[in-house]
Amino acid sequence: MIVLAYILLILAGAFLLYMTFRTNDRRYIYLAVAFYVIFPVVLTMQLPIDISPESQQLYDAIAALPDSSAVMLTFDYYASTLAETEPMSRAVLHHMFKKNCRVVTMTTIPLGGPSISERVTRDLAEEYGKEYGVDYVNLGYKANYVAVLKGMGSSIKAIYPADNSGTPLDEIPLMAEIKNYDDLDFICVIADNGVVEYWMSIVNAQYGIKIGSGVTAVMAPKIYAYVGSGQMTGLLGGMKGAADYEKLVGKPDAAIKGMAAQSLVHLFIIFAVIVGNVIYIVERRRGKGRV
Amino acid sequence: MRTTVPVIIAFLSGFVMILAFFFNPEKSFIGRLEPEVLAWVTIVGGFTLLLGVVSIVRVNFTAVKRRKENWPYKLATLISIFAMAIPAILPSSWSPLLGTGTGSIYDWLFNYLDAPMMSTMFAMLAFYIASAAFRAFRARNAEATLLLVTATLVMLWRVPMGEAFLKSIHGDLPQYINTYIMGGANLAVQRGIIIGAAMGAAAMSLRIMLGIERTYMGK
Repeated sequence: MIVLAYILLILAGAFLLYMTFRTNDRRYIYLAVAFYVIFPVVLTMQLPIDISPESQQLYDAIAALPDSSAVMLTFDYYASTLAETEPMSRAVLHHMFKKNCRVVTMTTIPLGGPSISERVTRDLAEEYGKEYGVDYVNLGYKANYVAVLKGMGSSIKAIYPADNSGTPLDEIPLMAEIKNYDDLDFICVIADNGVVEYWMSIVNAQYGIKIGSGVTAVMAPKIYAYVGSGQMTGLLGGMKGAADYEKLVGKPDAAIKGMAAQSLVHLFIIFAVIVGNVIYIVERRRGKGRV
Repeated sequence: MRTTVPVIIAFLSGFVMILAFFFNPEKSFIGRLEPEVLAWVTIVGGFTLLLGVVSIVRVNFTAVKRRKENWPYKLATLISIFAMAIPAILPSSWSPLLGTGTGSIYDWLFNYLDAPMMSTMFAMLAFYIASAAFRAFRARNAEATLLLVTATLVMLWRVPMGEAFLKSIHGDLPQYINTYIMGGANLAVQRGIIIGAAMGAAAMSLRIMLGIERTYMGK
């Protein structure tokens, strides 16, 4: 049955590429992409996940923290990349709450950052029976992230006098124990933009705190430089990284479900590149130069 | 005067931050200046956001008033700004629907309108990438062929089906791609870019502090 489904998928892709070539209408390719995304989601196809070494490194770093460690989790991403980044946040937060870490969350994104962090942390806190202000705190957003990252090194309260809902930090028991980076054991930055490099150059380099990160797939190649140099402790790259972490914490969710769709679309694009190049070579030999 | 004052402010701000880096914030006056300056920077940052909102409202309002081309879209922008901003600014103590907390109007608009629209826009990239890959990603010369082969290998390596395919060729092939392409060639190039960009940023900062670079003042 599965073999038949794969054969059907390949034939459908080949037919749609042929139609694109014949009619020069790119909408056939759009149809193929839609088909390859919708098909595995509807059939709930699930694939075996091999854990990347960088994902394993992040997991090991958090697993090695003593119980009740103070950690920070950032939600530095816009809603446009939620499909990749939110599963990372959820998976990492699962791990942190499982280990009874005391979690401080924040964001450098004004548009929706506080809403996303509020939604995700409250969802998971309910599942693990965590109390706001004692087990976790959401600091929310403050403008000008370079100053925010640098300023929290001296005093978190100076930058965030109140949390996301306006409660003064003095009235939050957890924040009485966490004054600045010295009181944090680990920071996990989930980001879809260049802020992760500022976390490395300002917070990791100047305050010596361990940082791991989760970034979108397009950003991952750049962030590899920090993992390779040993400055960054673990990296989740794109939806695959999120799927790795979901598997590691034993909480299969959106990322693992999304792997089948992403696999098929990747394979289709590779197939399209190969077919496109075969056509290009054949036509160049014939001297047509249409493609 | 309009040039000298901003240059002096830029110089003093940068100089204080450089100097404060070498002093203990708990034991010296210069060290204590750092958190003070940073708190100021976040406050000024808040005002720049406000300036951005004022600017976008003014530009769009003028366009709507003069019935310029595509003015209905600009009207939609204005309505959207106020629909999200007004309930968010009002205090949640008046009503749970106000403010930015869970269950507020702002939160609802963000989760059920803004987030799906932003995700949709981003997701559309997949369609364009697939189309561009078929129509334009050609092995025209040696460099393009190298890029094409590398991209294909990395795309295969990043998804479970591709990884399984690579493993069927050689069990360690995914590991080789991680080690030699991502951790080798890619890492070397990225380091060069990062170091180059950092040196450029340092040089630019120095130019701003010394008043040589004045483009931030519109000069």
